[in-house]
Formats: sequence, C-alpha cells, structure tokens
Amino acid sequence: MKKSDANKLSELDRRRFMSYAAKCYLGVNLFPMLGSGVGNAAEISGAKAKRVIYLYMGGGMSHVDTFDPKPKKKDIMGETEAIATSADGIQIGHYLPKTAKVMDKVCVVNSMTSNQGAHEQGSYIMRTSYAPRGTISHPTLGAWTLKLAGRLNPDIPGYVAINGGGGGGGFFGAKFGAAPIGNASAGLQDSSKPSSVGNDDFERRLSLADRLNKQFHERYVNSEVKGYEDLYSEAVRLMSSEDLKAFNIGGETQAARKHYGSGRFGQGCMLARRLVEHNVRFVEVYLGGWDTHYDNFAGVEARCAEFDAGYSALISDLAERDMLKDTLVVVATEFGRSPEIKAEHNNGRDHHPAAFTCLLAGGGVKGGFKYGKTDAGAARVKTNPVPVQDFNATIAHALGIPHDQVIMSPTKRPFRMADKGSPVKDVFA
Amino acid sequence: MKFQTSTFIVSILMLAITPLGAAESAKKADSPEFVRKAALKIDTYVAAWYRQKKLPVPAVTDDSTFLRRAFLVGIGRIPTTEEGMFFLEIEDDSKRVDLINYLINSEGYSSHMTNWMFDLLRIKDDMARVSSGRNPYRSWVGNAVEKNMPWHELTTKLLSSKGSLWGKGEAPVGYYLRDQGMPLDNLANSMQIFLGTQMECAQCHDDPFGDTERHDFYELAAFTAGQNPAALARKARPLYEEARLEKNRGKTKSKVVELIRYQILEQTLFSGGSGRIRLPSDYQYRDGDPGEMIAGRTPFGKTVRMSDRENGDDGREKLAEWVTTKTEGQFPAVMANRMWKRIMGRGVYEPINEYVVAKDTNIPGLMNYLTTLMVEVDYDLRAFQRVLLNTKTFQFVPNPNPPKVQNGDDFHGRQLTRLSAEQIWDSLITLAGGNPDKKPKRTLDDRVRIGRNGRGSVVPGLSMAKLSDEVLKLKTVGELDAYCEELVKEVGGGGKRKKSGSDSMMMTQEIRNYGKGAQVRASELPSPAPKDHVLFLFGQSGRDTVNGANSEPNVSQVLTLMNGFVQQQLVNNPSAHIYRSLKDASSPAEKVRRLYVGILNRPPSDEEMSWMMDEVKISGDTDDAYRNILSALVMSSEFLFLQ
Repeated sequence: MKKSDANKLSELDRRRFMSYAAKCYLGVNLFPMLGSGVGNAAEISGAKAKRVIYLYMGGGMSHVDTFDPKPKKKDIMGETEAIATSADGIQIGHYLPKTAKVMDKVCVVNSMTSNQGAHEQGSYIMRTSYAPRGTISHPTLGAWTLKLAGRLNPDIPGYVAINGGGGGGGFFGAKFGAAPIGNASAGLQDSSKPSSVGNDDFERRLSLADRLNKQFHERYVNSEVKGYEDLYSEAVRLMSSEDLKAFNIGGETQAARKHYGSGRFGQGCMLARRLVEHNVRFVEVYLGGWDTHYDNFAGVEARCAEFDAGYSALISDLAERDMLKDTLVVVATEFGRSPEIKAEHNNGRDHHPAAFTCLLAGGGVKGGFKYGKTDAGAARVKTNPVPVQDFNATIAHALGIPHDQVIMSPTKRPFRMADKGSPVKDVFA
Repeated sequence: MKFQTSTFIVSILMLAITPLGAAESAKKADSPEFVRKAALKIDTYVAAWYRQKKLPVPAVTDDSTFLRRAFLVGIGRIPTTEEGMFFLEIEDDSKRVDLINYLINSEGYSSHMTNWMFDLLRIKDDMARVSSGRNPYRSWVGNAVEKNMPWHELTTKLLSSKGSLWGKGEAPVGYYLRDQGMPLDNLANSMQIFLGTQMECAQCHDDPFGDTERHDFYELAAFTAGQNPAALARKARPLYEEARLEKNRGKTKSKVVELIRYQILEQTLFSGGSGRIRLPSDYQYRDGDPGEMIAGRTPFGKTVRMSDRENGDDGREKLAEWVTTKTEGQFPAVMANRMWKRIMGRGVYEPINEYVVAKDTNIPGLMNYLTTLMVEVDYDLRAFQRVLLNTKTFQFVPNPNPPKVQNGDDFHGRQLTRLSAEQIWDSLITLAGGNPDKKPKRTLDDRVRIGRNGRGSVVPGLSMAKLSDEVLKLKTVGELDAYCEELVKEVGGGGKRKKSGSDSMMMTQEIRNYGKGAQVRASELPSPAPKDHVLFLFGQSGRDTVNGANSEPNVSQVLTLMNGFVQQQLVNNPSAHIYRSLKDASSPAEKVRRLYVGILNRPPSDEEMSWMMDEVKISGDTDDAYRNILSALVMSSEFLFLQ
C-alpha cells in the first residue's frame, strides 16, 4: 500500500480520509455538508451568473484590430481587415476566424474608457476598481466576489488565477486571494501527498499533529489557532476531494486539448472550464504580450492566434454543456491602442485608454449584442461610455452581488467592489 | 547526557565579555550597568501599573519558552538543536542575560532586523527598471541595518537624499526613486513611517476623522516638490527612439543606450526640493484655488516654512530636519513604540501607525520614559532593543487570553502571535541546514552588464558606479552618443579604457546573488520573494505598503507544510541538520527529546512522550518513525506560533 496509488487516493481512501478529517477536526460527519456551501450573496432579482471566468489581456489589446474595426478607414486599419461573424451587425478583425463563429453568444462593449494610461495603473484599476495608492492594497474582483458571495464548493479554492498576473486578496487578506496556478498543465501546488509517504504514515502524522494541536488549543483560545485547525481539515478534504481532479487537465482527450490550442492560454482556458464545472467561483486566465508598440500587426496576429482558439473553444464548450447560462465569461484589458499607426515604430500602436473594447458572454448577458460606440476613427467614445468602474459593477450585477456594499478597510476607509460605478443594465437579456 | 556545544559556550562567554555591536561600542548605552538600570526602570513603570490596577504581576516564564521567544524575537529563527540543548542544560544564574547579549550582537540580529526594516520602508528589488539583485538602495539599507546606523541618521539620509542611485554614497535616493511618478504617495508614506501620522486621506480631501486638511498636505508636499531626473534623461529621447527602431533592436548600441537610460539617467534626482507646489486642478476648498502655487509649511511642531516667491533647493533637507528634531518628541516616540511592538508583541499604543501622545496611552509614564530612552541611546536601535529584551516584562509568562485592552499592550504577558513569514522560513532552513547565519551574505552585483535585466555580457574594468559618474558628467546628447559608441567598443573588447586599475578590486570579489531556490535567510533572498515561495504563502509583505505583511492562515500554507517544501527539504531529506543531531542519541526516547528541542525548543511532556513512543512502536526505531514525528511537530500549531 505504501508505494502504490501514491498520489491519487482511491475512492475508499478518500472516504477514509474524509471521515478521518471529520472525526479528527470537526467531531462530526462531514458528508452532509458537502455541496451545501451555497453562496450568501444578497439576491439581486434576475442575476443569473454563479461563476466568472475572467480572461485578462495584459499589455493593452488593440481594439481596432480585434473587436472594434473600422473597415472604411484604411488609414487606421493598416493590414487588418474586418470579417463578418455569426452575429448580425458585428464585424471583427480577420485574425479571429474561430471567434467569429461564436459572436452570437458575445456582448461587445466598444465604449470602454479609462483614465489610466500606464500598464500597472491601468490593470490595477481594471482589477480592483481603484487607482493604485502606495498606502493600501485593494482587493481584486475575485477577492470581492469571494468576500461578498462566498464559495460555491467548500472543498476547493473559490478563486484561482492561472498563468500569473494577479489575484491578491488586498486588505481582505490572503484567505480571499487566488490560489495561483503557474502552469495549467501542472495543476495546484503541493496538493498531492508526496509519493514516498504511505497512507498509513500520512494518517498517523496527521493524527499526532492533531493531538498536539488539541492540546495547544486548549491552552490558547485564539481565532488564528482555530484557523489552522480548520485548514488542516480543509487541506485533507481538498487532497482527498473528488474535485481535485478539476485541476488536472491531463484527464482531457488530446482532441479536446488541441481544440483549445496548445499554448498556455488555451490550456488555461480549458483548466478554467474544468474549474467552473466544479463550482470554483472565480477563475482568472492571463494572456500577456498585447503591448504592440512595435510591429503591431505581427504582434496582434500572434496574440490573436492563441486567443482565438482558447476563447472560441471555451464559449462553445460552455454553451454545449449548458453552462453559459450561469457562467459569465469576461474579456478585459487595461486599455486599447492608438488608431494612429506609428510608421517609425515599424507600424506600431501606442497606449490608448480613451476608448477600448471589452467582452462579456454568458451569465444572462445578451449575445450578439453591441453596447456603446466609438467615433469613426475609433479614437473617442461616441455613445454610452463605460468607465472601468461601471464595467466592474456590471460584473457584480451579473453575479447578484451588491456592487455598492461598503466594506471598511483595516485603516477604516470605505471601499466598494466597483467604487462608485453603476451597472450597465442594457447588456442583460 | 553529553553534548558538544563548545562553539556556543565560547561564543556566549566571549560575547558576554566584549559586546560587538556598533564599532563605537564604548558608548554608555552598551554598558551592562546602563542596560540593567534602564530595564529596571521599565519594569518599575509596569509594576506600578499593576499595583494601581490591583492586578497580580505575571510570573516569569520557564527556560524553554524564554529560549524560543528570545531566539525568535532577537534573531528571527528558532535555535538549532545544539543551541537549544545547551541553553536548557546549563545551570547558570546569568544565562538569560548572556543569551540576550549573544543574540543581539549576532549576525542573526541584523538579518532579522533587515526584514523588519524592509517591511517598514517597502524595499523591493524591482523598482522602476532596476532589476533583481542589482539594487544599490536595497543593498544600502541592508548595510545600514548591519552597521546599526542610528535611526535619526538613517531617517535624515533617506528624507534629504539626492543624486543618482549608483552614485557614491547616494544610494539612499532610492527612497524617492522607488516611488517615481507618485511623489504624493511617497510623502504620505513618509509621514506614516517616521511620524506615525496618517495623511493619505488628505491627498484628496480633508480628513473627516482627524485634523489634517488637504491644504496642509500640499503644504507639506511642497518640501519634496520638483522630483525630476537629470536633464539629460529627457534630452536624450532621440537616442532612445533610435535604439527602439526595428532595425536597431538587439544591437549592442541599443542595449548600451537602454542600460544608460534605465539604470543611470532615469535613476537620478538632483534637485533638493523646491519648497513650492501647485494645488491640484480639482482643489475644492475655500482656502486655495486650483492650480495656485503654495509654499511649504509644516503642519505641527515647530513651524518650518519655505519661500513662496522663488524655488528653493533644500526642501527635503528642511523636511528631514523638521521630522527628526522639531516634532515635539513624536519622532523618537513613534520608533520607541515600534520597537516595543517588535520585542513585546504589541505596541504600547495601537495601531502603531497612528501616533498617540504619551498622556493618552495606558501607562503614560512608561511611554514618556521609552521616548526619553530612545533619545538617550542616540537612536541606537540595537541598544534600545537590548534594554527591552533585558526587562522582566519581556520574560512574563504568555497570556492565553485575548487582549483586554484594544488600543495597545495590556502588559499582561505576551499575546500569542503567529510567526512572521520570515521567522517561519528562517526556522525551516535552520532545521534543514543548521545555523543559517554562517552562510555568506549577498553582495551587490556592481558589474556593468549589457543586456536585458542586467544579465548580459560583462564590460571588463568598469563598475556601475564609475559608469554612472562618467555618464552624469556628460552635457549634451552628442557627448552621450559618442560615449555610448565608445562603450560599444569596450563591450567588443576594443576601446581605450585600461583593463586594470582601481576597479579591478571589485571584479575579483565573488558576487553572490541568491535566487529564490537558495536556502538562506529571508533577508538574503529576492525582496519580496516570488509567488510560489514559502515566504509568499505565509504572508510576507509585498513591500508595496508600510508594514504590509499578514499572518492570515490559508490552505496553501498547510499544503506546503504537509506536502511541499517541508516534505522535500526537511522530512524526506536524510541529510537535514535536524536528523544529524539524532545520530549519537542513546535511545529512541532521547531522539524524540532532541526532535522536540530542535523543533518546539522544549522537552516533551510525559504524555507527549508516550504518544511519540507509540509511533516508534508501530514504525520501529527507524527513520520512518522519526520522519513521522518530525512531520507532526512541524505541522503542529505550536511550531507556527510564538508564545
């Protein structure tokens, strides 16, 4: 028994661990609790999304070349051509042929606008609704979601960030931060028992530690000590959880993996789908490299190739599984890129926070819908501007989270998930 | 029971006689008599408070609790098995005092203090474009802590700093360069760090809870106004543009230009603070107009003003002087309270970043005395902490109850606290590798390296300091261009520069730059550690905000203890130091005892011994048994907490 089944616990072991953990740590049988960790969000009527997949395009995704093309303006389009999509009246850049086929399920917000033109500040405000301050660390949207809506699945982390790029709990603390996944193919760090440790040994270790802890806790009644006591049972539960397999994309067929694209982003999207299937509340996937100051068209083409496969597979996969109805898929970026093409930078585009595009799909959002417009030159927002905070309020609204609920920081200052933003209700069906 | 601990005995004896400390240690603050009297005075204030409140005085803790507490508080790690066994076994009336002296004068003290200072000052390796391991500012602060630079001197050097990051003696300018583009945030942090005053609200509006108005904040900000890099940094734009052209990308010339731009020209701050600033365009109160130019004026203490008619060049110097000498004792009091928290677990007043005047604290006499003491020891933080460590108050039994007093220390024994991320890491590597303080410290990589992130080829015979010196003497873009061309030849091995000379000393020194995988003290690792590191998991400060560390539990911590680092580097590592200390143990019970002393720094109780012996019965007197016991002890909450 020592070396077999080393990393994966059999169903029997799992049950033993579960009851063991329950006995040891909680003094109760755990099974009735499973699956009952329902979120405690104050219900907003009509809110449909239960989970969020947040795809972040780091560096500033060019709106002109992707989701806000201006086919008649050759001077700003450069090499990019617009193609028709499965949604009437929506055209997108020709680098995204697969995405074009799922646009009937996507809402395009063409009127995003931000006042932050630098990467760090821009992505900070997108993720937290606040401009960075040297004196406080703001929680990200995922942390807000966990804080205000809770976990859906108590066995596995409620917030996961894939490919780096963020996920801090900010002043809410680490408990609300993301479990980081550096590499989608490698899964969750340290979540399996070392192969050299037999199950019996492992159990006895836990049992010894538990006795020591009991003794220690009798001496000190302290919430932090209690926190660790609870976490051991959570960790054991996680390790032995059926849902841990959600983190293992090795279980997918080669064809499915290929469908999503073999890059880190595509594999990350596939992992994200597995995680929301297991009711992880908030999953972020990062795709960097959009900072196309130089040679914009080559850069955009390469980024789009990764994005196109991963995104289109994700949307169609979720739709097929009937999960799009309660999973909100967001595509966000810190700003767009200048419509003007810089010939001296080998046809590059600079930062452009005044107007850019983000996407929403699923979770009650209208598909094949365009919200807001930029002017003919894609430089300024012409109708229905959506500031960053409004966009984040819309995400909160989709989840049924009160975006204006105030949480005080430890320094006693008031904060809200979307600062003072209001949701864009027109995007909901 | 015999134990070889000769080096420790020698260390204790030697150090007890000749304290090392700061070089000029003939100071009165280091004399045992001074320390004894000062410690007694503190205890007297605390005792008087007990009498007044009619509370029983807490007992003094036992040797093993003292041992663990003294090591973790004094040097930030648990003792090795040998150090622990030795202390617990000797019988000597002065052993606690000797231990304190040994610890406070050891390398470990500086390491532990460095982490603390990095948290306070928000020291990061990567600020602006300075790449990992090559940050002279980080290195400077580390050295200042090691040399025990007095706090008022350190403060003055930081606040009044100017020059270039690589300039001789000018590295403290990193204090401002760290927050390039965010001078107002930098100022708000300065007020918090040095004066325990929170002014960040007043950046945008009058503080609704306090007295600070937005106008006050801008008047203070005026002292530090005018933070621009060297003029050449801006003028050289055409050179940068050229370097970024597609056809030039990857060429040596482009790399040289980028190195000079990011590491030298843009890491400069030559003006000394103009003393005048414009109110922001959204200024909303009646006492000023948007865009109006206002002059520097300090908000409390002895008022210091700057001219409102013309720009000065000594604003930051004046600010430093005001902070350290004209704030009515607030400057020493804030640091005294920080030190009290560091040694005793909670500040006399809390939160420590919100200054409370002595008369409003729970023991006004004590707070007043601590402030006086800080001045009396000339802001020598090591000497100040030595006094606190020598008090009976430090030795009180732990207080198992939640705090009764919300706004500060309740002086009723130490509250249970979770170890900091750094204490946990440093203790784990002590278990894995023995005393980590014997390992050499990191050094600053001062070589000129052409290429991204300072990792490219080395230019022989040239240091960053020298490069900085030469570049900053250039006046025009033309001169700079010619200099870059010349440097390109150096890289290729040509060039006129002599290959020997004063700089070659530097070249022969070994450069030690510890990466994230190194098992060295947290203070020697990248700051902050990367996101898959034990330090990150346990809540090390991201060093973006003042005192940004947290000790909140999360599941990844438990996983790393159960399955991750602890398993790989400790439990399953037969050459781990802790196992070596079992080698000559005479019996299974003695092995268990040594594991206990090594990990929890105390012998097991009889009941615990019987539990552990049961494990030995099941697994036999084998490695498996001790692995399981080690694993359980490291997973126990007691290991993660300080009593």
